[in-house]
Amino acid sequence: MSVEIGGLTLRGPVLAASGTFGYGTEVPLLERRALGAMVSKGIFLRPRAGAPPPRIIETPSGMLNAIGLQGPGVEGLIRDYAPQWAQWDFPVLVNINGETAAEYGELAARLDGVPGVAGFEINISCPNVEQGGLYFGNDPRAAAAVTEAVRKRTDRPVWVKLTPMVTDIGVIARACEAAGADALSAINTFVGMSIDLNTRQPRLSFRTGGLSGPAIRPLAVHLAHQAARAVSIPVIGIGGITGADDALEFLVAGCAAVQVGTATFVKPRAIAEVHDGIAAYLASHGFASLAELPRYLPRD
Amino acid sequence: MFLLDAALVARREVARGMFVLSLDAPQIANSVRAGQFVNLGWSPGPLLRRPFSVYRTDGDRIEVILKAVGAGTSQLLAMTARDTISCLGPLGHGFELSPGPRSVALVSGGLGVAPMPLAAREARAAGISVTWVHGARSVDELCSEADGDEVIWATDDGSRGFAGTAVSAVPETDMVLACGPNRMLAAVAMRWPDAQVAVETYMGCGTGVCLGCAVPLARGGYDRACKEGPVYRAADVEWSMLPAHLAYAVSA
Repeated sequence: MSVEIGGLTLRGPVLAASGTFGYGTEVPLLERRALGAMVSKGIFLRPRAGAPPPRIIETPSGMLNAIGLQGPGVEGLIRDYAPQWAQWDFPVLVNINGETAAEYGELAARLDGVPGVAGFEINISCPNVEQGGLYFGNDPRAAAAVTEAVRKRTDRPVWVKLTPMVTDIGVIARACEAAGADALSAINTFVGMSIDLNTRQPRLSFRTGGLSGPAIRPLAVHLAHQAARAVSIPVIGIGGITGADDALEFLVAGCAAVQVGTATFVKPRAIAEVHDGIAAYLASHGFASLAELPRYLPRD
Repeated sequence: MFLLDAALVARREVARGMFVLSLDAPQIANSVRAGQFVNLGWSPGPLLRRPFSVYRTDGDRIEVILKAVGAGTSQLLAMTARDTISCLGPLGHGFELSPGPRSVALVSGGLGVAPMPLAAREARAAGISVTWVHGARSVDELCSEADGDEVIWATDDGSRGFAGTAVSAVPETDMVLACGPNRMLAAVAMRWPDAQVAVETYMGCGTGVCLGCAVPLARGGYDRACKEGPVYRAADVEWSMLPAHLAYAVSA
């Protein structure tokens, strides 16, 4: 079940998605034996307080969240968490965030070589302050600029987490690949909104939030598939995976690995269940390894 | 922290539309402290688990108290004996009830009665005499199981006991514990800054990971109702930033 993803050899294809596993230290029940890798909660250079409540709303088969990237900042992460990660038997990638391309680069430079930090996942779903608050992830030039800023400051693996809020994910995927990304994570949450009919106001204090959970799965499978068709680097599928069959859809659709997110909130052992279910599927269908799983990936 | 598939054992009505569910959850029953909660999941049910204070324990059983306030709680109340509910808990940081004070007032509004039976048990074990002040809109919404060395009832319409809010019926005691709508807890904080209050928030994971249950603090910033809370020193919470409209027990 081991896989090669953008410069890292992982013991399994099921990873913990950013923001849904914290810093990996919070919950003793979370099963780690099956974990291929963990992507940390998103981090900025400086500490951030996060958004006022309500931050989380349930929607049909989904969850809308606007946490506001609350976090200790890079120095807090290096002090409190990286030393623990250095002891673990699976790699931890840090999900990095910034308001300018230079901030992403600074973060990568600060974390490069820190024991416990195996690589980076760039969150490009952040507003680009220099270009009037448009999102890095919607613009192939801005996405490439951020990827390049990080690439120049580290030799560690660099993954880019793509936003689904684009007209053609293949264009962004190719721009990131050309700028030096080792792998792509597809996809981040969809932007959504829910209205409280008693107050006639948005139910989240931030007005909008990121939609995750089974509600987005078919959309995510399609977008991950489109990204995989567009590039030759590995694509890691994300979006509403709660069981092994869901993960297998992403793998057959062309992904090299998957990340499990919201499901971990509901089932602390979701990652182990998905991992074991994939292994059982491969065995019962006569595939000796994940590499033998036939992919549905017609080339453009 | 344990993750158990617990069988539903019994259900009883303790006020109009207010029910107590009894679940077979030995490890949780044997370790839970007053003010802690369990995060329940069931199938078919909502996507996310729902948090409930542990109301009482009885041997290997835990009890939770709820009203049908949404689709999820209606599903829970439609379950029958031996149906299975996934229990994650005990979670959170409960009430501090060490020996020392001579008397405590447990102040509960509506479903805010939820953590009080365990608080009463721990207070008595610490040699603290318990005055229970329980309020609701009217007599038929008062939880019939409220008990204490002294019990004071309060109803908005005066149909039983003191006519007015539970907060205004609290006598002089050495300490105050409160649970109820956030508006009520804000009033508690004004009068007894050192009161221990159990707050209500929306919650994602219940285990400190998702940061969804942010509680705004008076000193600035947020922490997590599920980890540092749900019990706080009343004056430490920035009440103006907590949604006031949440009824106790999150609607599903």
